[in-house]
Amino acid sequence: MAPSGYVMNLQPFSVNDGDGIRTTVFLAGCPLHCAWCANPEGCNQTRKVGWHIRKCIGCGECAKVCPQGIGIDLNAEREKCIACGKCVEVCPQKARVLMVQKMDADEVLKQVQTHRLFYSYSGGGITFSGGEACLQPEFLNYLTEQIYDMGYSMDIETCGVFDFEAVRPSLSRMDLIFMDLKHMDSAAHKRWTGAGNERILENMAKLAELPAEVVVRIPCIGGVNADEDNIRRSAAFVHRTLPKARMELLPYHEFGKIKYEALGIPYEHPEFLRPSKEEMEHLRGIVREEGVEVADFR
Amino acid sequence: MAITERVEKIRQNYVNTKPHISYERAWAWTKSFQRTEGQAHIIRTAQAFKDTCEELSVNIWEGELVVGTSGEFRKCAILTPEFGWLWINEEMDTFPERGQDPYDVTPEQAKFIRENIFPYWKGKSVEEAFLARISEDTKKIGVDTGFLDTDSKWRNGIGEISADYIDVLLPKGYGGIKAEALDYMAKLNEAIPEDKKKIDFYKSMVFIADGMIALGRRYSAKAAEMAKAEADPKRKAELEEIADICARIPENPPKTFREAIQFVWFVQLGGIIAENPLAWNPGRFDQYMYPYYKADEEAGRIDYDTALELVECLWLKYSEWAWTISKNTASFFAGYTNFENLTVGGTKVDGTDATNTISYMAIQATRECMTHQPTLSCRIHPDCPPEFMEAVTELVSTGCGFPAIHGDRTGYQMLSNLGYTPKDARDWNNCGCVVPHSRKTFEWTSAASISFAAALEFALNEGKSRLSGKQVSLPEKDPKTFASYEEIVEAWKKQFKYLVKQGVISLVTAQEIHREIGHRPFMSACNEYCMKNGADLVDGGAKYSIGPVFTGVGLSVTANSLAVIKKLVYEDKVCMLSDIIDAINANWEGYEDLRAKALACPKYGNDIDYVDSIARQLADFYYDEVTSYNDLYGNHFVTAFMGISNYLPTGKVLGATPEGRHACDPINEGVSPYTGTDTSTCLAALRSAAKMEHEKHSGGTLLNLRLNHDLVATKRGRANLGAMLQSYFALGGFHVQFNTISNEVLKDAQAHPEKYRSLLVRVAGYSAQFTNLSKEMQDSIMARNAHEAF
Repeated sequence: MAPSGYVMNLQPFSVNDGDGIRTTVFLAGCPLHCAWCANPEGCNQTRKVGWHIRKCIGCGECAKVCPQGIGIDLNAEREKCIACGKCVEVCPQKARVLMVQKMDADEVLKQVQTHRLFYSYSGGGITFSGGEACLQPEFLNYLTEQIYDMGYSMDIETCGVFDFEAVRPSLSRMDLIFMDLKHMDSAAHKRWTGAGNERILENMAKLAELPAEVVVRIPCIGGVNADEDNIRRSAAFVHRTLPKARMELLPYHEFGKIKYEALGIPYEHPEFLRPSKEEMEHLRGIVREEGVEVADFR
Repeated sequence: MAITERVEKIRQNYVNTKPHISYERAWAWTKSFQRTEGQAHIIRTAQAFKDTCEELSVNIWEGELVVGTSGEFRKCAILTPEFGWLWINEEMDTFPERGQDPYDVTPEQAKFIRENIFPYWKGKSVEEAFLARISEDTKKIGVDTGFLDTDSKWRNGIGEISADYIDVLLPKGYGGIKAEALDYMAKLNEAIPEDKKKIDFYKSMVFIADGMIALGRRYSAKAAEMAKAEADPKRKAELEEIADICARIPENPPKTFREAIQFVWFVQLGGIIAENPLAWNPGRFDQYMYPYYKADEEAGRIDYDTALELVECLWLKYSEWAWTISKNTASFFAGYTNFENLTVGGTKVDGTDATNTISYMAIQATRECMTHQPTLSCRIHPDCPPEFMEAVTELVSTGCGFPAIHGDRTGYQMLSNLGYTPKDARDWNNCGCVVPHSRKTFEWTSAASISFAAALEFALNEGKSRLSGKQVSLPEKDPKTFASYEEIVEAWKKQFKYLVKQGVISLVTAQEIHREIGHRPFMSACNEYCMKNGADLVDGGAKYSIGPVFTGVGLSVTANSLAVIKKLVYEDKVCMLSDIIDAINANWEGYEDLRAKALACPKYGNDIDYVDSIARQLADFYYDEVTSYNDLYGNHFVTAFMGISNYLPTGKVLGATPEGRHACDPINEGVSPYTGTDTSTCLAALRSAAKMEHEKHSGGTLLNLRLNHDLVATKRGRANLGAMLQSYFALGGFHVQFNTISNEVLKDAQAHPEKYRSLLVRVAGYSAQFTNLSKEMQDSIMARNAHEAF
């Protein structure tokens, strides 16, 4: 029988996470807790309902069906919510949404196959992301095994914290692995993400044993890791451990704010700065100086 | 290469000048008809053409390399009172100030026209004949209603012809056409009735050829005269060259690329003078122009940049002519668009790739000139070279709305289904906006606009218009008494059948009139088989006579509405049908909660079978019903889901609809999702649209989508767009066209039109200058949903 797993959502028409037109499968749960996380709903595997206040017209259909007696303002009574999803079904504005749900693997497969023609013509396929895509090894293994046989390209985005041997079979089926490297300094890494970077560096080195291409990604956050020194040290590490790997530097963004709002979680981080275009180009220059090719999926 | 100073100057004049009405053509035509009373109509028409060619003022404008204009103004709009003049008489004084497509016309001109031209045509025009022959019932539902409209077939010249440059015009020249006609004539016997009719036809061919030859010679003389007076030696030399070319062209077949360009324009101009036509298509330009370019290039007579400048001069000529249309027609065909459809790419008749240097040159000319004409279409076949796809998607990324992108195989299949031979079907070009067409064909490609949503309104309102309360269609029972969803679908079918029937009656009536007084000797001269058969197009002379095309409008609105009724009333039972009827009668006022529920129902354009299958059911019924009728020539009628801008006027006459739309709001064009309701992804919208079995709707299908500009800003993004196109075509889709300009830019253009005179945007099946569109048209373009990448 097909396993089931915790899924945030499936995003068809993803064009920046690998080659071609892809469907990104966002898997829930994450061992890290980055202060700037853009997908806060995926930080654990709890089913949850979000409330997009900007879409809400206050019709009250949600309150009518709620078995817990929660009103329109879900966030005021969030502790009572059991994420049954009844309000999601009746909301005419799609202001109530399931942000994490348990899904059958075969249902995931059915949905990703819908767009097979687009994958074929564009050289695209499926990208696993999260949360942390490697946190549900069995689920991932089933999905990747099936998709491998279907012949679609597969990529994965990972934070690097996972049990390598448990996901080795899945990773071996990948065409491209994106692994994050958020800080070279373990103490700083721990301060911003809740864990040191030792495991990440260790897993990254092991990627050399796999057939996939590797792109090491740095989310560049001004005030955290977007300084010359960190970028240079990161690039030097990548060059040393994975000579063929490329690196992609992505500027910090605040698109996740809307999700914090939907979940009623405050998000105030004025200390995080978005590097300018010029600063980003400068940092990419440093990566190149260290002998690493810069990847770009825009 | 950047655009040359010459082209830029012509371009600036084009974007900054309002078209001016010229009555020269109408006056010459009228005087000729006064002289030929009593003769066969085909002869009179051909004679009028020749007389007009000999009488029109000859104007060569500053900097021009390609010459020939339809009157005394550079941006010229002409009149064809023989088709219809009532509307011109009524509307002429408002031409300069009207919101959509204004023309300049002076009070003196108007006076002259009313005193000297219109009186002759009283009782003689196609329009009057049509209105005299149709019944009150037909008039009530099918004349200026927005429910069913056929007036482009009885108020204006027809057009909808693709000139046969390959087998007729370029190899023969008008001298050759004349000689051929005389040859045929010599073999006929006037004492045999069939021969007698053919003799008239060949005589008319001679008049047409003589007219065209005269036109060329007059331009030659004018250029020579201007050269003599010209002080600037460079311009003097140019004028001398023009004089030299026009002395031979279009009488003789062109020998060089430059001559061929002038030849093509003279043919275009001839068609304009003859009919002031809609959709007078240059056809597969890259196929017939490339041999001239190749020969010149090999002989060292031309380089790429020189050829490009000539092509750009031609593009501006296509754009300087403005189609003269009524206020009502302008709301359907907004933006001075005359649909001179020019096709590049695709396959040759042997199935191999057809792209060549001229294919790319055409795309470059459109990108550089940003003219609204020609209506550039590209054929994309499965093995399309990546460079061509990149050129196409790169043009898309400029936001100009060009080119219209077509699936080669679907176009082929559409013609095959109409009985074309494989060779002719593979040689298809585009006509008007999105009609697969051929240079061997006579077809009314945009004959009737039929509203799916009007049929629903009649079904749910006892056959009355919801806005006017008038009984315009068949009676129906009180909508609150429908017992099932199926019963409502049946009521829609009954009303729709009635619309189709009235459309057929209107068009067959128009065909009869055209067969009497709508002879088309000029267009027949551009058609290989008319010459062979000795018969005009209206007498069935063409190799393929195809039945008139209906174009369906409001498919998605109607499917979405039926889905709402099915789900809310009969499945979820959250409301009664009477609630919905009350709500739309109140234009949703006081029914906001119900409207929210209606809006939340599945919408076409999101790859949801629940509603897409309803759309398909409607489309299939449409096909079965329309094709069950035959036209005057015994050919079955044809279906299309085209666009044009008819989603605005057809929406304006409708009350609110069950899927949440308010009264008077636009409906939808072609197979496009309703504005703003394709909220999933672009891929889902393409998949929904592809479910409509395009290949059997041989009159063409149209899909408009908006794309976020970021998606096509990089080469990588454009490659993905190319993949989306190929996927859509593999799914059986026929045409898709994109708007990629952000609403921020469009809003700024609305506020500061002076800064954006040359901004081209996609309307539907064609592009127009944004600032030439009425405010409501601009708003509706902004409201289309932009698909973003994630």
